[in-house]
Amino acid sequence: MLSLESITKTTQDWLLAKFSPQIALTIECVIVILLAITLFAVLGLVLVLLERKVAARIQIRLGPNRVGPGGIFQTAADTLKLIMKEGLTPDTADKFLFNLAPFVVMMVAMLLLAPIAFAKNFQIWDINIGVLYISSISSLSVIGILMAGWASNNKYSLLGAMRSGAQIVSYELSAGFAVLTIVVLTGSLQISEIVASQENGWWLFKGHIPVVIAFVLYIIAVTAETNRAPFDLAEAESELTAGFHTEYSGMKFALFFLAEYINIFIVCTIGATLFLGGWMPLHIGHWEGFNHIMDFIPSSVWFMGKTFFLIFLIMWFRWTFPRLRVDQLLNLEWKYLLPISLFNLLLVTVIAIMGWHF
Amino acid sequence: MNISSIIFYAISALILGAGILAVTSVKIFRAAIWLLFSLVGIAALYFWMQVEFIAAIQIVVYVGGIVVLIIFSIFLTQNSGKEMAKPAKGKVIFSALAALFGTAFVHNLIVHYEGFATNSAKPFNPNVAEIGTQMLSTTSHGFILPFEVVSMLLLAAMVGCIVIAMRPNNEIKN
Amino acid sequence: MFLKDYISDVYNGVTSLLKGMRKTGYYFTHSKEIITEQYPDNRATLKLADRFKGEVVMPHDEQNEHTCTGCTACELACPNGTIKIITKFEMTPEGKKKKAIDSFIYRLEMCTLCNLCVAACPSDAIKMAPNFEHSVFDRSKLTKILNKPGSKIKEGVE
Repeated sequence: MLSLESITKTTQDWLLAKFSPQIALTIECVIVILLAITLFAVLGLVLVLLERKVAARIQIRLGPNRVGPGGIFQTAADTLKLIMKEGLTPDTADKFLFNLAPFVVMMVAMLLLAPIAFAKNFQIWDINIGVLYISSISSLSVIGILMAGWASNNKYSLLGAMRSGAQIVSYELSAGFAVLTIVVLTGSLQISEIVASQENGWWLFKGHIPVVIAFVLYIIAVTAETNRAPFDLAEAESELTAGFHTEYSGMKFALFFLAEYINIFIVCTIGATLFLGGWMPLHIGHWEGFNHIMDFIPSSVWFMGKTFFLIFLIMWFRWTFPRLRVDQLLNLEWKYLLPISLFNLLLVTVIAIMGWHF
Repeated sequence: MNISSIIFYAISALILGAGILAVTSVKIFRAAIWLLFSLVGIAALYFWMQVEFIAAIQIVVYVGGIVVLIIFSIFLTQNSGKEMAKPAKGKVIFSALAALFGTAFVHNLIVHYEGFATNSAKPFNPNVAEIGTQMLSTTSHGFILPFEVVSMLLLAAMVGCIVIAMRPNNEIKN
Repeated sequence: MFLKDYISDVYNGVTSLLKGMRKTGYYFTHSKEIITEQYPDNRATLKLADRFKGEVVMPHDEQNEHTCTGCTACELACPNGTIKIITKFEMTPEGKKKKAIDSFIYRLEMCTLCNLCVAACPSDAIKMAPNFEHSVFDRSKLTKILNKPGSKIKEGVE
C-alpha cells in the first residue's frame, strides 16, 4: 500500500545504495528543506483562502469568487501582487533590525515544524523533549514581533509590539499547563510516544472532564498566543492601524502574514497530537468491523483532518467574538485561565496517579 | 576535521561574534538583540552536545524570559532609541584587559585540570525522566534540598511582588 | 459568596460565547442565508428594497397626468436648492385663471436624497425611486425636468 512511510523508506534505501551515508544525509536534508518550504507556501495559500471563505460564509457573504472557479486562485493572485510591490523601509527606522524581523518570525515558525508527526513514522526529528521543544521555540516568536515594533520607529508599532509581548508572555503559562496535563497522563514528552499512548482511544475521550477542560484552555491560550481575534490587540486595526507591522509592505509584510498562518497550523497540529490522537484513526472500544474500516483511511488524512478541524474552530472564534480590551485580556488570563488550569492540572495528576483514566 | 567539529566552530563563532557585538554596540536595543543571538548560540551548542532538555530550558529561561524582560525595560526607558556616547578610552582598555585576563585564567585552569576523565562509573543519561528523578531524589546525588530552597526563594519573591503591586484598601476608596 | 460568583461568572461567560457561536455556525451551514447580490451579473433580476432612495421622480398615470399643484412646498423644504419650480397660469374651461407647473426642475447632482421634499408634498406628487445607475458623461444631463412634456394636473387635485 502506498503511504508516506513507504515513500520515505524507498527514497532512503535508494539514496543509501547510490551514495555514501554522509552525502545521502545531505541530500535528505536538502529534500526535507525543500518540502518544508513547499508546505509553507501551499499552507499559506490554502489557509488564507479558507479564512476568507469561512469569514464570508459566517457573515452571510460569498467571499472571493472572481479569480478562478469559486475564487480558488485569489490568494495566488494576491501573492503575485505582494511580490511585485516595493518593500519600503522607513527612513528613520533601524534598517538592519527592521529587515531582520520578518525573517526571525519566519525562522521560528520553520523550527517549530521539526518534531511534528505528520503521519505514521513520518516525522522530521523525533526529539525526546518533543512538546518542551515546541513550547520553548514558540517563546522565541515574541522576539521577532518586539524587534519589528521597535525598529519601525513608529508609535503604533511600538504599542502593538508591547501589547503582543505582554499577551504572549502571559498566555504561554496556561498553554503550557494544558500541554502538561497530557504529559502527566502519558509520562513522556516525546511526540511519537504521546501519539502511541492514544492507540486505544484519544485523550479527549479517555481522560474524562479534566482533559476536556484542558483542551478548551489550550485552544483559548493558543488563539491568544498566535495574536488572533478576539485577542488581536497587537494589530487592532481600529486603534493601532496594523500594530507591529504597520510599516511593512510587499514581501516583508507577506512573511509576517504567512508566519501568522503557519503558527496557527503548528499550534493546531500540536493540539491534534495531544488531544485528538495525532495520526491515530478513530477506534471505538470493541467494534472490530468499525475499527477495521477506520484503519483503511491513511494516517496522513486523519492527521490533516483533525488539524483542519481545529483550524476551522479557531477561525470560527475569530469571526464570532469581538476583540477584548487590554485589561480584560489580562484579567481573563490571570484571574480565570491560570487558576482553572492549575486546579485542573492537580486533578489530572490525581487521576493519573490513581489510574482512573481508561 | 569532520562535520561535527565544523558545526562546533561555527556555533562558537556565532556566540563570540554576537557577544562582542553586544558589548560594543552603541544602540541599546541592538545590544539586547545581539545578546539574544549569543544566548541562542549557547542553546545551539547544547543541542550539538545532545543535551536537549538543557537546551530547551536555556531558550525558555534566558531567551524567552530574561531577554524579553530586558527588551521590555528598554521599551519603557526614555531616549532609548538614541545612540549612546562612546565610552572613554581608558575604560575600553581596562575592560579589554579584564576580559583577556579572564580568558587566560579560565584557559589556564582547563589546561591544568585533569578531572575531565570520560570514564565515569555512571553512563551519562540526559533523559527527561532521569533528570526529574534526580531532581527530586533524597539519596546521595539527589537535588531535593537545592530544589526546595530555590522554590522557597521564588515564592518569597512572588509574595514580595504581590505586596508591592497591591494597593492598600484605603487608597482605593479615595 | 466569592466562589459561587466566580463559578457563575465562568458559566455565564461560556454559555453566552456558545450562543454566539451557535448563531454564526447556523449562518455557516446555511448557504441560502447569503444576501450578497452579484450586481453587474444579475442586473436583469436585481431586486432592491422598497425603501431604497435613489432619486426623486414624479409618477404619471396613463392619461399623462400628475398630481403636482405647483405649491413649491418641496422647493422650500429642500435644504440645498435642488428643486426649482417654474409656474404658469392656465385658463380653466370656466374662464378662470389657475396656477399650474410649467417645469419641475430637479438637480440630481446636488440632491442628498434626504427625503424632505417627499415628506413636505401635500398631494403626494413626488416620490423616491430605487434607481441608482446615475452616471453620465455630461453633467448637464443630471438636471432633469420631472413633469413629462404635455402633462397636466389630474382632475380634482387642488
